[in-house]
Amino acid sequence: MLAMVIDDSRAMRSILRRIVTELGFECVEAADGQDALDKMSEGPVPDLALIDWNMPVLDGLSFVTSVRENRDWRDVTLMMVTTEGEHAQIVRALAAGAHEYVIKPFTPDAIQEKLQLLGLVGVEA
Amino acid sequence: MSDAPVFADGLDEIAQEFLVESYENLDELDRALVALEKEPNSRPLLASIFRTIHTIKGTSGFLAFNGLERVTHVGENVLSRLRDGHLELTPEIATVLLQMVDVVRALLGTIEQTGAEGDVDTAAVEAALARVLDPQAAPAEPEAAAPAPAEDAPVLDDTDAADGAADEADGPAELLAKPDVEEETPVQQVLEKAPVAPAAPAPAAVEHVDAPAHPEEGEQRRSIADSSIRVDVGLLDQLMRMVGELVLTRNQVVQYTADLQNVELQRASQRLNLIASELQEGVMKTRMQPIEGVWSRLPRVVRDLGAQCGKQVKLVMEGRETELDRTLLEAVKDPLTHLVRNAVDHGLETPADRVAAGKPAEGTLTLKAYHESGQVVVEVSDDGRGMDPVRIGNKAVDNGLVSREQLGRMAEREVLDLIFRPGFSTAEQVTNVSGRGVGMDVVRTNIEKIGGSVDIQSVLGEGSTVRVRIPLTLAIIPALVVRQGGEMYCIPQVSLLELVRIEGESEGVGPQIEHVAGAPVHRLRGNLLPLVFLSEQLELARESREALNIVVLQSEGTQFGLVVEDVVDTQEIVVRPLSRQIKHVEGFAGATITGDGRVALILDIAGLSQRAKAVGGSLSAMSIEEQLSSEDWDANGLLVCRVGEDRRVALPMGDIARLEEFSDGDIEHAGDTQVVQYRGELMKLVHVGSLLGLAGQMHADRYSVVVHRHDGEQPLGFVVEEILDVIEQELQLSDVGTRGGLQGSAVLQGFVTDIVDIPALVAAARGGMYV
Repeated sequence: MLAMVIDDSRAMRSILRRIVTELGFECVEAADGQDALDKMSEGPVPDLALIDWNMPVLDGLSFVTSVRENRDWRDVTLMMVTTEGEHAQIVRALAAGAHEYVIKPFTPDAIQEKLQLLGLVGVEA
Repeated sequence: MSDAPVFADGLDEIAQEFLVESYENLDELDRALVALEKEPNSRPLLASIFRTIHTIKGTSGFLAFNGLERVTHVGENVLSRLRDGHLELTPEIATVLLQMVDVVRALLGTIEQTGAEGDVDTAAVEAALARVLDPQAAPAEPEAAAPAPAEDAPVLDDTDAADGAADEADGPAELLAKPDVEEETPVQQVLEKAPVAPAAPAPAAVEHVDAPAHPEEGEQRRSIADSSIRVDVGLLDQLMRMVGELVLTRNQVVQYTADLQNVELQRASQRLNLIASELQEGVMKTRMQPIEGVWSRLPRVVRDLGAQCGKQVKLVMEGRETELDRTLLEAVKDPLTHLVRNAVDHGLETPADRVAAGKPAEGTLTLKAYHESGQVVVEVSDDGRGMDPVRIGNKAVDNGLVSREQLGRMAEREVLDLIFRPGFSTAEQVTNVSGRGVGMDVVRTNIEKIGGSVDIQSVLGEGSTVRVRIPLTLAIIPALVVRQGGEMYCIPQVSLLELVRIEGESEGVGPQIEHVAGAPVHRLRGNLLPLVFLSEQLELARESREALNIVVLQSEGTQFGLVVEDVVDTQEIVVRPLSRQIKHVEGFAGATITGDGRVALILDIAGLSQRAKAVGGSLSAMSIEEQLSSEDWDANGLLVCRVGEDRRVALPMGDIARLEEFSDGDIEHAGDTQVVQYRGELMKLVHVGSLLGLAGQMHADRYSVVVHRHDGEQPLGFVVEEILDVIEQELQLSDVGTRGGLQGSAVLQGFVTDIVDIPALVAAARGGMYV
């Protein structure tokens, strides 16, 4: 399983990479929405994308919209990683096609739970 | 809420990453905020600023840096309202935002040092930010501030409606609960740098020649950064060391193959030579960083200082992409900041003064960086009032750095150079904004420490330019190899002025090594050069002195001669640090391996120059006059003077206080007696020539006067024709007591010289004889 961590903060990417790696994912990183789209076009297409909301060049919402417009990418699970201040916007993200969201700051357990709900991580993992 | 769980093992690493990233972002933020003042409605700029704070907030929450999270949270609210057009950017708001950046920086600093936020006070800036959001809710008056209204106030915009009440409770409420904290906290000090005063003068405009603050470019750079990889600096340093080793081995191979007849081998060795050079260049490049990294915080410095001094400043930066070694970059950061602060504070005039002088109200401060003959040159120039040599000279005299007499002999360039002397910048600067107690002498010392130099040019009324030259890298430097006691030592060539070799001591040229105040000196073209013997410094046996090899060196404004056994060659050497066990041994700056494979120590020239100073007292490479006018000569010396046409006399130095020159106009006549005003007293002048019965000239434009002062008595001035020298010599008197006022005669420096009997002369003068 391949996860793509999309966040403009290197520190946040490190945190997320650590979490998903411990959950058994391979991990690639992207610095913003456009970078993520480029990397997905080059392949391989990830199974899971963890998406920051607020990024330069192309923000998380636009990224979700773009992914949903491409039929090749319909199997990618999209998970928004947002702060509380963006809570109200989560509805918009879900409407645009995101599957799940976690709110920063979060615990690895929170992510694991969400991924179990999505069936991406085994319950025993 | 999170307490940063689970990653006990990896948290440090992440926190480290967070710090590095946040510092980068803050530099960017300073720049963007200052640019925003010019373009208050630029949405891309606002969006980028918002994102930066947002990123810090998001990560700090995860890492449980609660203070940081609180500050950035309120800041983010202000920024989101600005971005969405609910709030208009005013200079006051900009100032508060910049204060927020300062507090965030302070927090990050504490985290970096202690791993925790410590007790950095965030309350003041949180309150200031809250006031921006709702001026009514949080009045500045401490007594009136109760927690309740702040909490109830509809401070936050709708996107924050979902925020937990608890979150807010330990935000504004806490800060309002302890309002008197504003009095004397460190944060307050930070804030004082950037006044909130509504009466603040028009903020300094900052202009980049190529408009770097535009977010488009910022984003471009970000994605460029993504296409490159991050490499551990330690790894680069290690690579550099290994390339250094390779270069050394290459030198050996090239040297050995040169002696062999094998053409193939020689060809291969030449190729190796070439490749190693290119590799070395390439690896050195990886350590290069654009000077921009150091400059990025200067717009902010200029802005704050300009506002504080009531000056309008346009900052122009040219050559931001100029690269130099990262260790050097770090070393020039503070000196450059100091120079920039100086230029704004002392160099530029107030708008009113500028207009009166026919200049535009806005002053221009130009930073320029470029490569020149293997060095990086950084210029800091302003179009301000320029430096006034007269004022500088007076100040130097007032501070006792030079005598008025010395000053009179100095060229204008030398006068300007006085500002680099320790002790020049005193109280005036420390109380002033530009001085943090750091003078220009520290700037010069720090630049010279990394093998650079500083000089200054100024035209009165038109502005000043300070030019800093720094080497591209410190890792591989040209050096002079010398030999002492069978070992090789290296001397970095930046310190080297010239090589002097003196053959055998004879032919009546006079001794090549003289002693002044007990210190060995060599007379080089009329200047006294203090000598340091390498053999003594290394505590080796002194070499036989058939010939003298003097390496003339300059460091920290001092010239001195290092006497070595033999001068070998010049070489490019790879500087290696000394290992921990021998690091504390003084006198060495490092080590290297020479072409023949031997280890050679690199001499610490700055350290040696300190020794030279210590040996020679205050005596550095002074001219004879300077040396004579210094106050602490050896009381056992003899002052050799000329009187009359060609008569040489020597005055024992016992009670001689100073040497002065007076012009004809200074001299007053009281009856037959000539007197002169000297340090608030009347000083009687005695002509030594007439004492000796010579037709001494009684009138001249200038008089050389030897000031004699015995404890508590009035000073007396002995007038001579010319002061020739100071010597130390055992006296072998002949003709003892033949004439009044003389002790006798002796042969000094090959000339018959009369030795003046000072007590007799004084007594005679007091008694009115001989005058």
